[in-house]
Amino acid sequence: MTDWNAMSDAEFRKEVHQFFETEYPEELRHLPHRPKFAEIEHWHRKLHAKGWVAPAWPAEYGGMGLNAAKLLIFYEEQQRGGVNRGRDMGVQMVGPLIIKFGTQKQKDYWLPRILSCEDIWCQGYSEPGAGSDLANLRTRAEFDGDDFVINGQKIWTTMAHDATHIFMLVRTDPNAPKKQQGISFLLAPMDQPGVDVRTITTLSGETEFCEVFFDNARTPRENLVGELNKGWSMAKALLSFERIFIGSPGLAQNALGQLESFARGRGAFDDPVFRDRFAQAALDVEDHAALYARFADQLRRGETLGADVSMLKIWVTECFQRITELMIEAAGPDGGTVGPLQVGNVNVDVLASFYKARPTTIYGGSNEIQRNILSKAVLGLPD
Amino acid sequence: MLSSDQEDLRLLRESARTLFERAGGSGRARKLRDASGGWDSDMIGELAGAGVFGVTVPEANGGLGMGLAAGGVIAEEVGRVIAPEPVVLTIGLSLGLLRRLRPDHPKMEQLINGETNLAVAWQERGPGGAPADATCRYVDGKLTGNKAWVVGAAGSHGFLVVAEGGAGPVLVLTEATAAGLSVDKRVQADGSSLGELSFSGTPAEQLAEGSAVQDALTEAISDATALAAAELVGLSQRAFEITLDYIKTREQFDKPIGSFQVIQHRAVDLNVMLEVAQACVREVLAQMDCETVPKIRARLASRAKARAVTAAKKITRDAIQLHGAVGYTDEFEIGLYLNRALVLSAWLGDDAYHRRIWLDAREEEGAAQ
Repeated sequence: MTDWNAMSDAEFRKEVHQFFETEYPEELRHLPHRPKFAEIEHWHRKLHAKGWVAPAWPAEYGGMGLNAAKLLIFYEEQQRGGVNRGRDMGVQMVGPLIIKFGTQKQKDYWLPRILSCEDIWCQGYSEPGAGSDLANLRTRAEFDGDDFVINGQKIWTTMAHDATHIFMLVRTDPNAPKKQQGISFLLAPMDQPGVDVRTITTLSGETEFCEVFFDNARTPRENLVGELNKGWSMAKALLSFERIFIGSPGLAQNALGQLESFARGRGAFDDPVFRDRFAQAALDVEDHAALYARFADQLRRGETLGADVSMLKIWVTECFQRITELMIEAAGPDGGTVGPLQVGNVNVDVLASFYKARPTTIYGGSNEIQRNILSKAVLGLPD
Repeated sequence: MLSSDQEDLRLLRESARTLFERAGGSGRARKLRDASGGWDSDMIGELAGAGVFGVTVPEANGGLGMGLAAGGVIAEEVGRVIAPEPVVLTIGLSLGLLRRLRPDHPKMEQLINGETNLAVAWQERGPGGAPADATCRYVDGKLTGNKAWVVGAAGSHGFLVVAEGGAGPVLVLTEATAAGLSVDKRVQADGSSLGELSFSGTPAEQLAEGSAVQDALTEAISDATALAAAELVGLSQRAFEITLDYIKTREQFDKPIGSFQVIQHRAVDLNVMLEVAQACVREVLAQMDCETVPKIRARLASRAKARAVTAAKKITRDAIQLHGAVGYTDEFEIGLYLNRALVLSAWLGDDAYHRRIWLDAREEEGAAQ
């Protein structure tokens, strides 16, 4: 077993870069959409054989056992190489929860199946009445013999139509005094009569989000992870690392590169107004990277990140949006055209980038929610 | 664990902060402004005693040999209390020129010890009022012509002047009391002044000549630009703290105004702006210490100044808004920060100017690769 953490950062980065560079299929680089499993199955098999499916998991569960600093490098290289994250909800969300809160039996059964993608997971958190106010969720789960019976509706469930299982937050005690209490973390199979999946067509014409309806759907009692009614704090406990990752510079950096090659081809750099706006965007990206490096250094020193890490997400997602808006400006009369625009020998899908940037300020805690968090937890502003 | 370098910087920051706070913080800046618009010679002595002016001068030449990152720490502290003393001017420009061109000159030691202050004059004003090509000449030991936008002209003992000599540029030294020199003061928003110098056969001592002068000037301007950015970061940080305290205590509708979400979100945006600026400027200063190519150092300095000015403008102006009507009075502290930000932003190029320079440099480097 390789001890990746013992390597120098530079060595490790080289190793990861090399693997993604030589082994990742070219036709899958920088995919503009979220693939179904079948499309990337071949790549997943390679990754699985290499033992790299779960970089953050401890080695004893089949992961790479990377510390936070190495993990950041892994994801940076993945993003830089345009390597698709695959169907990683199992690896990113369920696995860590089972590892931390699950029984031995749950670990033995579920973890290998997550790594092999025998089970493909989707995340059932949001509901029509529970978006930013997630604790307001109403989907019920009640005991019935050895099963839970589930009734309600989830929404914005990414790729539910290509998943075999769903992990969800459900209300198991409707009489709890606070709405954050009485919520449990449950695993359920999708392939049953009580589960109905409908895709949602987004502004970009993609169908990666779904609605999932539960009408007396069932899951065995043993699929409860952790304690009954303790699901809320368990789910929150896992967000710490996600909060720096969601604010990493990759998306904005890639978009800036696209903008630059597109705008050069279109001659937009002859326009002093465009030049200044480009310079602003490019400096916004560079200077964000400096702040990101400060937080990454904190991880490297083994410190825990505070709530202030949310500022990375606010800055980089809004910057990403401005960059894609500049791309539309540079496209001039082609700014409303669907599909790739050819400039010289590069193809740039201006609208696809624009659409891709829109939900980034909404998901993972909308930027308004992030501002609420910062104002209370960092600036100490009163209620 | 912090590395030892960072530990050194932390100690330096602490001692600089204590020194300025003990002297009266930003209240001292107001007193000096109301008195004459100059600086305090006792303070110059204290700063010199702490090694401030020689922070980037090699130890062999009597300095601390700590690099620009340390200079930036001091500049941030200067900015926090909007101290009017010529700290960035001396570290970046006067000593920046002398240590590169004439480390042997006795003025080096006097500058480091705080016994003398020298302003630096290189820009000239064209007929339309905008910057123009240099025409001020140095012939037979005498200066003739004009220089403009000279920071610290009012309180300095002499001037380092870049002029046109017989064979290319020269750096010369002239005393403030020299014959044929007149100084016209232009009052700035913060009460300081910029000098417009006029020389007519003014005697001056030649210190250096040739392309070395231009090269040293480019490097000194890069240093001073990045340090001015650090001063703006410190200023912005303190302006933000003052504003945050204010919105936590000022009550309207029976609640602190900082409890309103619209105020909270504006405060968060200023905080994010500030953190990005601080991270950018500190990263730039550290990179400039490792970088030897002058063009790349200049590009880095432009990045820092562009960011720092953007942040300082936004933070000080929004600070006035968040203070409401009292923010518009001279009596409140926050206005001093707005005024100082205006002056520091205009000095050595504002954000729009530096974005232009930065993008040009980036393209030039890209084309060369």
